[in-house]
Amino acid sequence: MNDPQNATREVLWNIHHAWIMYALLVPTMAVCAWGFYRRIQLWRKGRAEVRFDRPAERVKLVLKYAVLQLRTWRRSYPGVFHAMIFWGFVTLFIATVVVLIDYDFGIPIMRGRFYLYFQSLFVDILGAAAIVGTLMAAFRRIVLRPKYLVYNTESKIILLAILAMLVTGFLIEGWRIAATDDPWGAWSPVGKVVANVSKPLMSHEALLISHRVGWWTHLALVFAFIAWAPFSKMAHVLNSSLNVYTGRLEPVGASLKKLDFEKDEKLGVSALADFTWKDLLDFDACTECGRCTAVCPANRVGKILSPRDIILDLQHRMRAPDADFAASYIGSTEALSPEAMWECTTCAACMQACPVLIEQMPKIVDTRRFLVMEDAEFPETMQQALNSLETRGHPMRGTSFNRVDWTQGLKISTMAEAKDAEVLLWVGCGGALVERNQNVVRSLAQLLEKAGVSFAILGREEKCTGDPARRIGNEFLFETLAQDNIATLDRYGVKKIVTSCPHCFNTLGNEYPQWGGKYEVYHHSEFLAKLVADGKLSGDMPSSQKVTFHDPCYLGRHNGIYDAPRQLVQIATGAAPIEMEQNRSNGFCCGGGGGMSFIDEPPNQRVNQERARQALETDADVVAVGCPFCMTMLEDGINARKGDRDVKVMDIAELLWQSVEEKTSGATS
Amino acid sequence: MKIAVCLKQILDPEVPARDFKVDAAKREAEQGGANLVTNIFCENALETALQIRDAAGSGEIVALSVGPAGAEDVLRKALALRADQAVLVVNDADTNPDPLFVAKTLAAAIKKIGGVDVVMVGREAGDWGAGQTGGLLAEELAIPCISFAEGFEPGATPGTIKVKRQTDAGFEVIEAPTPLVLTITNHDKNVPRIPKTRDVMQSYRKPLEKWTLSDLGVDGSTSHAYSQVAELFIPKKETKCEFIEGDTVEAKIDALAKRIGDILRAM
Repeated sequence: MNDPQNATREVLWNIHHAWIMYALLVPTMAVCAWGFYRRIQLWRKGRAEVRFDRPAERVKLVLKYAVLQLRTWRRSYPGVFHAMIFWGFVTLFIATVVVLIDYDFGIPIMRGRFYLYFQSLFVDILGAAAIVGTLMAAFRRIVLRPKYLVYNTESKIILLAILAMLVTGFLIEGWRIAATDDPWGAWSPVGKVVANVSKPLMSHEALLISHRVGWWTHLALVFAFIAWAPFSKMAHVLNSSLNVYTGRLEPVGASLKKLDFEKDEKLGVSALADFTWKDLLDFDACTECGRCTAVCPANRVGKILSPRDIILDLQHRMRAPDADFAASYIGSTEALSPEAMWECTTCAACMQACPVLIEQMPKIVDTRRFLVMEDAEFPETMQQALNSLETRGHPMRGTSFNRVDWTQGLKISTMAEAKDAEVLLWVGCGGALVERNQNVVRSLAQLLEKAGVSFAILGREEKCTGDPARRIGNEFLFETLAQDNIATLDRYGVKKIVTSCPHCFNTLGNEYPQWGGKYEVYHHSEFLAKLVADGKLSGDMPSSQKVTFHDPCYLGRHNGIYDAPRQLVQIATGAAPIEMEQNRSNGFCCGGGGGMSFIDEPPNQRVNQERARQALETDADVVAVGCPFCMTMLEDGINARKGDRDVKVMDIAELLWQSVEEKTSGATS
Repeated sequence: MKIAVCLKQILDPEVPARDFKVDAAKREAEQGGANLVTNIFCENALETALQIRDAAGSGEIVALSVGPAGAEDVLRKALALRADQAVLVVNDADTNPDPLFVAKTLAAAIKKIGGVDVVMVGREAGDWGAGQTGGLLAEELAIPCISFAEGFEPGATPGTIKVKRQTDAGFEVIEAPTPLVLTITNHDKNVPRIPKTRDVMQSYRKPLEKWTLSDLGVDGSTSHAYSQVAELFIPKKETKCEFIEGDTVEAKIDALAKRIGDILRAM
């Protein structure tokens, strides 16, 4: 009798009128389906967007972010408990399907070793893990209370319901084992404990009645939960999975939408109806985890910008019974106020942090587009930057330099002079017109020359790529600049571009293709690293300088380049950079992106000072950067905070040139 | 209320110092790589006019410029800011006429436009800074002129306006009959607004009238009849360092005093 081959249990033991369960299943699934159908109807109110192309790549997204939940793990405590609950429920679901196949379809699979190892032992362990996970979640919500969470009754009810479903499940299992003296009971350790505790306390009759009441309670809880799910945060099981499937396949740097100035009736977005269906799905996919706001640099320094609340306020607006899709949301809540929109550095930390791939930043830029192009209401200093862009082709108002001043003393050809140059050195406004950065482009040009690269610049023919205009929201101006530059680049037949500005790098590489400008674009960190790898440059001078590296958002998060600049620091100083507390994809913005370098921040709310604090904490002598905006912002921040210490901000090109020069002079002396 | 706002296109005053060059022979600034922009005080004047029209809820703004064909740009910008009408008096022959010639041309244009209650000009232009056109224009039109005005509101009696003007000591408020000329200065409330993108796009489709000098009966050959630039150069900045010798402190002081005296006399 105790042959494991025969191990199984009686399905629906002690249960009469099981047909009621089947009868209840129909309305349960109907309510659930109706709930999701209503959601889908909401999303369908959005405008068109292509997000079902390239299915193979999308399935990969689902595997990474919905199944393995790689983003959830970026915070270990919630990562652990979410995985315990998730895998617990996945296992319990599979166990239920096994019962269905065995009992309802009459295919006897729930027996033997499979019954013992999986259906009993494994399911029990995973169920117990789900209980532990739920208690951990409750502990965080009730005791730890991190600031970034949303505290509401619904979240508590969900945890309580999950706990109740799991506990009733174990109770009925235990009471069944106790009442039937199940010989395989020990394979269900948690159930066995319940059985062992219950048996001395309860009569056989009591066990039977408790089991029956417990079983129907468990069923009622589960069915109620399934029916309620689409109306609660639990909808994320489907909404977020769908959001992951329809997630962005391009780098973050390519996430802004192109407008059609001829056809679009409204420029930018100010009402729910202006969003695409994917934007609306984004709102519904939010699980209120708050990670976006927790990593937002503006929020961290005390500003009102909160990507989480932008998404949630729009979600509530969309779900309201009397939702007005045509009415403007701008200013309807603090999170949706113009002030908040003008605090975003477009660093995309929010997008990188979101476990379910919600795209917060483009919605801010969409709103800015409306404020700038339809309302013409935005901060005056940004207006001046855009005015300058329009009249002078650069945003650096009041600069005393022209685009070729930095070349003095160097022999650098323009494309007009050297038409056969293989590489275009795109200098950028930040490189040419801001005095401190001129040394960076000088270093870069000298490195290129040393490595024997055939290169030239556009000189006075170069115009701003339009990045600040685009991020501030003047898409029209951006398009004008993009078209002008593309015409110039194509006139010279440019194929390969190197630039020391990650903003130019991103715009030239990720955005110009949409306007027909297709070039091979390199950030100088990648290009220089390759020259070193090819043996065309060598630094490798051991240096006593301790260096930390600040990841530019438009190089790192927007384009996924983290290693090349670190390699260069290693080559230039002989040691890998010391990492700041926030680095790589979790890097903290310098505060200068998204047009914010043209804003005078309140003295007590400066993003660059917070980053400077992190940099100074590493005790480094040099803060290495790879972006002209980071250079300015961090120099200001470091100078304000360094006190008596001698800390320099240097671009990786300057570090490398210093090292190459030293090596050369060392070799000749 | 019909307001004519005169707008001048000038060389970008923010051109980097090193890029600024003058053509000594032609006695004018070289454009080089610099851009042409609307004179800032003219923009202040347009902004003031727009605010007055906004406040009144009615009124007509005519943007008017005298200059080469390319000066159309400043008028397109004015149209983008929703000026009602734009008129360019094309004068390709002379890009730098003297102020009285400009005033006479503007006066002829304003008479042709007709029915103008208030003429607004910038208090001066950022290129030559002569600051004469407003006054001369009033003279040509034989109407009053109030200079350094910030703006105006309706006066106590019909046909008058109350103008606030800046003085060295503070402000004056003057009630004056229309028509008249105001030279507008900048203040914290007339920072030029920026246009809405759709208005920028539409500004290129709006009508823009172009008149020639002969349409107005102005003789183009008189563009320098009233004043001429005698010489134009960029002053050279020289830095020299001298050490004052002397055996004692007193001797050094005496030598220094004598040297300063010599330099002052030489100047």
